[in-house]
Amino acid sequence: MEKVFTDGLSFAMPLLIMAVGAIYSEKSGVTNLAVEGFQGFGAFIGALIAVLIMPFFPKGSQTVIYIAMAAAAVGAGLYACLHALLCIRFQANQVISGVVINILAVALTTFFTSAANKAITGTSSNKLILDVSARFTVPGLQAIPWIGGFFRKMYPFEIIIMVLVLFFWYLMNKTRYGMMLRACGENPQAVDAAGGDVEKTRWIAVMISGALSGIGGICFAYSLLANFSPSIYLGYGYLAIAAMIFGNWKIGPTALVCLIFGLAKSGGYQLCIAMQLPSSYSDLFLMLPYILTLLLMVFFSAKNHPPKAAGEPWDKGRR
Amino acid sequence: MARLLTGPRAAVWSSLTAIVMTLLTAGVLLLVMGRNPAVAFYSFLQGCGFAPKANYGGGSGMLSDLFDFLTYLAPMLLASLAFIVAFKAGLFNIGIAGQMLAAGFLATVLAGYNKTLPSPAAKLIVVVIGIAAGGLVGAFVGYLKYRFNIHEVVSTIMINYIISYLTGFFINNNYVDMMTRTSRVCSPAARLCLTNVQIGGVNCKIPFGMLIALAAAFAVHFLFSRTTVGFELKAVGRNAHCAQYFGVRVGRRLVLAMALSGMLAGLAGVNYYLGYTNTIIPKTLAAMGYDSISVALLGSASPIGAIFAAVIVSIFQQGANYMSSMVGVAKEIASLITGILLLYASCGTYMKIRAERVLQRAADRTRDAGQGGSGQREEA
Repeated sequence: MEKVFTDGLSFAMPLLIMAVGAIYSEKSGVTNLAVEGFQGFGAFIGALIAVLIMPFFPKGSQTVIYIAMAAAAVGAGLYACLHALLCIRFQANQVISGVVINILAVALTTFFTSAANKAITGTSSNKLILDVSARFTVPGLQAIPWIGGFFRKMYPFEIIIMVLVLFFWYLMNKTRYGMMLRACGENPQAVDAAGGDVEKTRWIAVMISGALSGIGGICFAYSLLANFSPSIYLGYGYLAIAAMIFGNWKIGPTALVCLIFGLAKSGGYQLCIAMQLPSSYSDLFLMLPYILTLLLMVFFSAKNHPPKAAGEPWDKGRR
Repeated sequence: MARLLTGPRAAVWSSLTAIVMTLLTAGVLLLVMGRNPAVAFYSFLQGCGFAPKANYGGGSGMLSDLFDFLTYLAPMLLASLAFIVAFKAGLFNIGIAGQMLAAGFLATVLAGYNKTLPSPAAKLIVVVIGIAAGGLVGAFVGYLKYRFNIHEVVSTIMINYIISYLTGFFINNNYVDMMTRTSRVCSPAARLCLTNVQIGGVNCKIPFGMLIALAAAFAVHFLFSRTTVGFELKAVGRNAHCAQYFGVRVGRRLVLAMALSGMLAGLAGVNYYLGYTNTIIPKTLAAMGYDSISVALLGSASPIGAIFAAVIVSIFQQGANYMSSMVGVAKEIASLITGILLLYASCGTYMKIRAERVLQRAADRTRDAGQGGSGQREEA
């Protein structure tokens, strides 16, 4: 039972950081369906850097993970510039742009993973093998019945993500930049009239979105999968978008939804084990988060208030 | 250049620009990797039967490569038509891969494993199942959009994974071939192509899908250029509020667009799984579902344009294996080239805007030059 909480949290946290990224982009007025591509590209850059620097560190060194995380954030942030370029500068359809970014990310990372493998190890594998992050248990809290599972065998990245989410919540809701960003998504004309720079604000928001998604991606690669391969594209980016939609583009409720997703996933998996079903049945339980997403959407989608200007290219001349 | 991009054939020229840019980008990439781009591009063509290979295995020849290419092209064209139909109505059907898989799986299980069905009946049943399965999934997505306001990109992706896991579960439990770890091959009677046809001394595979796909392309063209329903679908895509104002039932049209799109995707699915591959790899969505988006956008969302765009994208995808064996570049470069193509194709609007601006500036300049004399006098 406690394992449900432990695994649930470790799945929910990367999902949450990606959702926060998506919220930043959408709140600034740029529809972001590119989360999936951002997270994959970030994970690829992070994994590539990790594989390159691994020989210089003692085996199992945790420093590699933090460097990989930073690399993933930078890499995905830069990759997000492409989305920003298409959506903001080129005024392309933002949904198309998101799809383009996703497909291109899959193609780029798949190709360069095999190319990098050939160059580094000489083998033609489509996986970059990573270590698994070390885990720790919070003493005291872990003894709490039921929810003690949350504090057992935690990955360090869970703490990092919690801190980041708090920081970005503060940035969004309590600072001048955050207010301007939100205004860009509701009424960019007003921001322009007040002397703000709509394009610049959106560029920064999209890059933040990419960086955060990249962190989410490398966390998946370093915890759940222990490698980078094209199989990282499991639609988790879209789960994050769904979480954002139920969370009504607010970070707090979104966090709750992510946790529900995480618990559904780990709960289903543990249920499968508890019922002693053959391993092939796990496929059925792996469907749970996706089904849950559809169901939640059926109940919550109609009441949503997406940012008003999201999806529309900013045209200074329009009234 | 600018004039071409704003003229009556603007869509064609911007697609051609995208193709040239892609070839240049891919060429530079190949050069950086130390390969000869010309040889690589030529070997793509060789792999598809457009140019003779250096040597052939027993019983195969250029013609058999060409027919293999057509077997691949047919579902690609159908899948891109599926995207186009939804796209014209303002919907993004990203779930083509899932709809293909659902149709292919059901057709394989219900007709492909039935050894007693005579060949024409089996083929007909396969087509009907494909259309029905894809259409139902599509209509469901359309209904979710219309009734519950669920963004179709998110719902189709969720449905993709659900279908992928669900069919994977059944294949692994009931229909798996122990040797290959994929689903058992379906009976030749149900396949949508004739296998082992001897033409000019070589073994060929003749796909029926190509006929279906071409017919579908012209049907979609007819739908959007000549019928009221097609016009209403386009109106919903351009401006749903406006369409509603002049009496279009937007919700119904959304469901219809997604259903039609799903049907075409289902057709693509049966042509892919019961024509091209003949087996299903469990828990794997066909990359074609996403490549078809590149095809559709490269063809400027026109059904006739899609025929040409499908040929180009298919050359890269189908010729990749041979190119890889000849030049030694991983065959995944085909997807990369498709992705780059998609990137440039999606910049079409921007190219047009830029071209208009350039023309405008040029026009301003000639006007200024013409008024040059009078302008100076006013200043003085």
